[in-house]
Amino acid sequence: MNFLEKHLEDPVHFARIKRWFYVGLAVVVLAEIVLPRIFHGDQHHFSFESFPAWGSLYGLASCAAIIVVSKLIGKVWLMRREDHYDS
Amino acid sequence: MTLEWVHPGLLLILGAWVLPFLKGRVKRVAMLILPAAALAACVRMSPGTYGEASFLGQDLVFGQVDELSLVFSYVFSIMALLGMVYALHVEDDSQHVAALTYAGGALGVTFAGDFLSLYVFWELMAVSSVVLVWRRRQASAVAAGFRYLLVHVVGGLILLAGIVLHWSQSGSLAFEHMGAFSGGTAWGLILVAFLLNAAVPPLGAWLPDAYAEATVTGGVFMSAFTTKSAVYVLIRGFAGTELLVWLGAAMAVYGVVYAVLENDARRLLAYHIISQVGYMVCGVGIGTPLAIMGATAHAFAHILYKALLFMGAGAVLQVTGLRRLSDMGGLYKTMPLTLGLYMVGAFAISAVPLFSGFVSKSMVISAAGEEHLALVFLLLSLASAGTFLHTGLKLPYYMFFGKDSGASGQEPPRNMLVAMGLAAVACVLIGVFPGLLYQHLPNAVIYVPYTLEHVTSTLGMLGFTALGFFLLLKHLDPERTISLDTDWFYRRGSAGFLALVQSRLARLEYDFVGELYEFVIRRPVLGAADLVRKLDSLVVDAAFVGVGRSTQTLSQVLKTAVDGHVQHYGLMMAIGVLGLLALAMLTL
Repeated sequence: MNFLEKHLEDPVHFARIKRWFYVGLAVVVLAEIVLPRIFHGDQHHFSFESFPAWGSLYGLASCAAIIVVSKLIGKVWLMRREDHYDS
Repeated sequence: MTLEWVHPGLLLILGAWVLPFLKGRVKRVAMLILPAAALAACVRMSPGTYGEASFLGQDLVFGQVDELSLVFSYVFSIMALLGMVYALHVEDDSQHVAALTYAGGALGVTFAGDFLSLYVFWELMAVSSVVLVWRRRQASAVAAGFRYLLVHVVGGLILLAGIVLHWSQSGSLAFEHMGAFSGGTAWGLILVAFLLNAAVPPLGAWLPDAYAEATVTGGVFMSAFTTKSAVYVLIRGFAGTELLVWLGAAMAVYGVVYAVLENDARRLLAYHIISQVGYMVCGVGIGTPLAIMGATAHAFAHILYKALLFMGAGAVLQVTGLRRLSDMGGLYKTMPLTLGLYMVGAFAISAVPLFSGFVSKSMVISAAGEEHLALVFLLLSLASAGTFLHTGLKLPYYMFFGKDSGASGQEPPRNMLVAMGLAAVACVLIGVFPGLLYQHLPNAVIYVPYTLEHVTSTLGMLGFTALGFFLLLKHLDPERTISLDTDWFYRRGSAGFLALVQSRLARLEYDFVGELYEFVIRRPVLGAADLVRKLDSLVVDAAFVGVGRSTQTLSQVLKTAVDGHVQHYGLMMAIGVLGLLALAMLTL
């Protein structure tokens, strides 16, 4: 049983990983909001980039949009049976 | 060609033919020495013009060496070396010869200073790479190889037509920036041929079709050369062409959309080549120094991490024989090293800080920002999230984790792991020390990738993409389907076309065109012929008959005069002489 197996198969370990993941997300969001105010970072190209936690929000929105829209296009139009070209 | 300058491409193309005559360890050493020698030849080259020759009164330049061609030649020869390490265990000479010829062709394109030598190496790449597909020796691979060849032969012909037209219009074969000919037919043809090789939709369906069918080691070579040499010639010939900005941005998103639907591991990665090349094409279109630098840097980084990803997926295919994500799962227990090395490539393509994609991709996005192209900026950022979603999360999740499929796995041969390790080291080195790459780029603009905001917003974006992935996981389960792409037109569309020809078009031809022919062509032609025939018999024949008859009558008359008696002839002559005398006396 290797290192990964120990952490993924054991529910207690897995719950701990999950918790750290959420903590990490919270830290990143906080860093994104707070740090630019303290250090006055680089110039933005667009106004929407100054929106608090822009990166996190756009990442989540992009991810959801890609999955939902792609699956929709796929179901309605593009996806075919594997033997589509064989017949 | 002087001895001081050795063409690294020719070194590979000609050197490859030594391999079939060698055996065992000697052959394996030669397989490594050839690309290593090509790399050394590239590294010790300095900018200038080499290898000039004259052909049909035109100057051919085989060695146009400047900063741009040098940086591409470095990564092409590094890639050839990595690919050969990965393929060391393969006992198939034709694959090795084809792979080295393919890499040599890419180097030939890189150093070509004129269109004619560019064309020759361009075609050589297409012809040699198709061998890497065919040598998988399955019916589906052979068919895919023929489709790949068909598309590239058409692309090559378009390029040739463009070159000939350009030559006749400008009188020069020199391969320079095409801006002066913008909008012309030759400009358009050459651009289309380049875009076809860069796999820009709708001309890009050949890529996932062929790359997913190639041999395990062949796919690694293919992921590197064709599209990136196309990016290189686009930078040389078409930097700053606005059309490319929009094609590139659309392409980056297009690849991501198809990757959601894809079930075949290598097809998924192939669609991400299209997506990543989209960033480069977009950078070429923006055309500012930072954008060109970004496109070049991203091509460099991309070749290395994409090769690593193809090596990882290839290792799984080699060991388990599985290509569908829906059949895999749970392989992390038996292939932890492959997983770890694959993840380095996945982090690099997803632009995680400290990995190579972070320092290259952001250059193109920043260039779009500097030019205030808001929509392009948003599309490229969205595609970035999509890249992590698929290559960094979906593929490893279903391949290595997820539901345990029970597929028995083991680590691949050691040389494959070594090649993956080397590529992984390169990805991390570039990510940690971007200066290593930046110092070789043309248009040295100062660009600092590691700013506080860039790092935090990237981490936020990646982190929340991961959150979205786990929340929507059940919608992402791979399904046993394939997705329609523009290859439909030559896979199904042609069959439909033939059916149309045989049924409706045939009847249409018989019913309508046949009747039309009867009325428009046959009857008027026959009528006219009849008229001409009558004219012939009435006028022409009569004229000839008339001439014949009068000749006959005249000769009848003359015949009576010629009776054979000499005294009659004498009398006639005397009359004649007397007549002449009388005439002379009268007139005088």
